[in-house]
Amino acid sequence: MTVVVGIMLVVGFCFVLTGVLGILRLPDFYCRLHAMGKCDTLGVALMLGGLALHQGVSLVSVKMLLIVVFISLANPTATHALGRAAMRAGLVPWRRDEEVS
Amino acid sequence: MSLSGLLVSVAVALGLVMLLSLFRVVSGPSIFDRLTGLGLIGSKTIVLLIVLGVWSGRADLYVDIALAYALISFVGTLVLAKYFETTKESE
Repeated sequence: MTVVVGIMLVVGFCFVLTGVLGILRLPDFYCRLHAMGKCDTLGVALMLGGLALHQGVSLVSVKMLLIVVFISLANPTATHALGRAAMRAGLVPWRRDEEVS
Repeated sequence: MSLSGLLVSVAVALGLVMLLSLFRVVSGPSIFDRLTGLGLIGSKTIVLLIVLGVWSGRADLYVDIALAYALISFVGTLVLAKYFETTKESE
């Protein structure tokens, strides 16, 4: 059981690290939003799922799974709201022939 | 490696990753880049709280704080996105 928990923690952290590298390296706000929305949701869900598996069946692990459900609903919603707000505020998407900011 | 050592390593690595996200908050070209970095820091704070709670053996205390922080962070991101949507000056 400890091995499974450790593997879930490490794999989830790899997803989170991929999201942060995408935030740092991708050229444009919309590309960075792409990196944030998916990697972060899956990484947090894996890490919290592993920790809930370590806790066993109790109120604490039920609360951790509630956090997982809430984040997997709220993080895509926040990503969508940010992207729509940026598009309405007039932020132009990046094209290949422009300079990388 | 025991699970306690792994938890400490994950907590330290999460702190370093939050510092990397803070770089995007400081140097984002537009205001929405800064909001993206803030959202990343918020979701990592939730995981960091629960990892520290499991490590210290008081997970029943920390998981409530993490739940409240998740709710507040989501509402904050939505409100800030709505606010900067209507503000034309987005630099």
